[in-house]
Amino acid sequence: MNPARDVPQTHPAKPRSSLAGMNPLQVVSIAWRAILGNPLRSILTALGVIIGVAAVIALTGVGQGSTANITRSLESLGTNLLTVSSGSGFRGGPPGLVRGGPGQTITLKDAQAIQTQFASQIAGLAPVAQGGQQVKFGANNMNATIIGTWPAYASVRNAQPEKGSFFTEADNQGRKRVAVIGYQVAQDLFEGTDPIGQKIRIAGISFTVVGVLPDKGNSGFASPNSQILIPLSTYQQRLGRSNNRGEPTVSQVYVQGLDKNSLKDLQNAITDLMATRHKKTSPDDYDFNVQNQADALASVNQVTQTLTLFLGGVAGISLLVGGIGIMNIMLVSVTERTREIGIRKALGAKPRDILTQFLVESVVLSVGGGVLGILAGLGLARGVGNLLSITPVFSPSSILVAFLFSAVVGIFFGFYPASRAARLDPVESLRYE
Amino acid sequence: MKSVVSLEGIRKVYRMGEIEFEALKGVSLEINEGEMVALMGPSGSGKTTLMQIIGLLDRPSAGTYVLTGEDVTILTENERAEARNREIGFVFQAFHLLPRLSVLENVEVPLTYAGVAAPERRARALEVLEKVGLAGKEHHFPSQLSGGQKQRVAVARALTMRPAILLADEPTGNLDSKTAVDVMSLFQELNDEGTTVIIVTHEADIADYTGRIVRIRDGMLESDQPNRHRKRPVGGVA
Repeated sequence: MNPARDVPQTHPAKPRSSLAGMNPLQVVSIAWRAILGNPLRSILTALGVIIGVAAVIALTGVGQGSTANITRSLESLGTNLLTVSSGSGFRGGPPGLVRGGPGQTITLKDAQAIQTQFASQIAGLAPVAQGGQQVKFGANNMNATIIGTWPAYASVRNAQPEKGSFFTEADNQGRKRVAVIGYQVAQDLFEGTDPIGQKIRIAGISFTVVGVLPDKGNSGFASPNSQILIPLSTYQQRLGRSNNRGEPTVSQVYVQGLDKNSLKDLQNAITDLMATRHKKTSPDDYDFNVQNQADALASVNQVTQTLTLFLGGVAGISLLVGGIGIMNIMLVSVTERTREIGIRKALGAKPRDILTQFLVESVVLSVGGGVLGILAGLGLARGVGNLLSITPVFSPSSILVAFLFSAVVGIFFGFYPASRAARLDPVESLRYE
Repeated sequence: MKSVVSLEGIRKVYRMGEIEFEALKGVSLEINEGEMVALMGPSGSGKTTLMQIIGLLDRPSAGTYVLTGEDVTILTENERAEARNREIGFVFQAFHLLPRLSVLENVEVPLTYAGVAAPERRARALEVLEKVGLAGKEHHFPSQLSGGQKQRVAVARALTMRPAILLADEPTGNLDSKTAVDVMSLFQELNDEGTTVIIVTHEADIADYTGRIVRIRDGMLESDQPNRHRKRPVGGVA
């Protein structure tokens, strides 16, 4: 007799999840439509998260890129490398930073002593004396760093010529005026013509170019591209200096260990030898410094990591501010849609349904902002990277973290407005104008 | 006759700070399946409060309410939401359609909260839309409809869950008199098919379409009489 109620009703019906009929896709699509219902406001709301995520992605990308850059260029200058240099302090700093100067305390004899003492424990050794000089070829001239060294430099510092060959021990013994020139020197002086066999003038002295080094990139410190390598004995005869006892000095001695694991022991042994030779008993008095390349890498990494962390933290704060923006707008939105909430409750929505609806909306807003932010961040990092000639490095983990963080921001800052919506009294919300 | 709504000594006290206001002072009322009842009373009489209690939107301060055999005064908030979803079909004066949803989606909302799967939801929504004479309008949005059409959508939405009662609060208050007659004849038609209908109104004209008129005054039942001169519109609704 009741066609409108012809379906048998089990009564009282078992409570079941009212979300059973709404698949997650549908919940998201409801939220999406609410967001599209007010596009300008939604974009402005998400902008905080977009900027925050973009900043995190761009800054960490550029930071990691520059770390990778420095690491790569340090490693391109030789592996398992120890640097013995004058002076104390600056422990852990990048090698090559201590330049030639009046304070040079390392003598050629020190280098020879290390060579003799540790012959079986080292792969190679190259003392270096260096200084800036005017270099000329024809009408072209430039300032280059002239490095006097031993032929072992080629293998110790990974400086195999791309064209021609390195000078030999015979060249060194014979104080020959031969030079291996850096990539940039070749570019600037020879402008594309073949430099091999040509004569250049260093500080007015004629040298024959025997080799050209490949492009080593700019490490930021004393670029190897604008260096000229000549035999150490030639350097000392023509350009060198000596200490107050008249012994010829060098600015550094590069020692290449056999492998990574023994490097620390070798470093200690060389330190001990140098201390004995220089008659120093306390490390505080040392007038020399033995640095491990790994230490230098670690300290460079630490600096850039700290910087990356710091920048990431600043960006994280902006993400937090973005979250507060979302919370603010969601609160406004809940108030504006009080009536809708009342209607939905009258039609059978449970507090949990309303909570889910608003929570999903804020999460869609923040995750949408997160995705846009990631894209913007990738683009921004490319742009900044081009400007600083750094190739940004994006780790999937940093992208994932930024994405998850934006979702967490949406849940965290969406929860309060959503729970306020869920708690609204249906009678009052239906009456709300 | 099976009792659908059974109210016993229903009281409702509102507290606004220090002031207490007793909107209902002990109302007892029995409504049976298949009845069409008008709840009448001037504003401030408590008829709206009574409607909200019957519709499970509000709880009585005292008294018992048995809805289709179940004591609903002891239900939790979630259970009340479920009972509202299952047993009550609301029709409001201001239609209360969700403006961003299409006609079809509006009608589907109660089914969604009941956990009905999408294909069945759609089929049932289309079925009730046809019943209220809105076949073909399912993809319109509320803003594209006239007042009478909006109220029909609201009626369709109220019917989708096949509720125990259709509870209409001033359903013709925002309609012109001709459309009001149409909507009332729709209610009559549904009632003829067996649906229990409760209409809250202050208009005697509207109450005349029902079979029983319950008058409330000052929070108490003033009278409860069958309507012997029930109005029937000429023609009715397609």
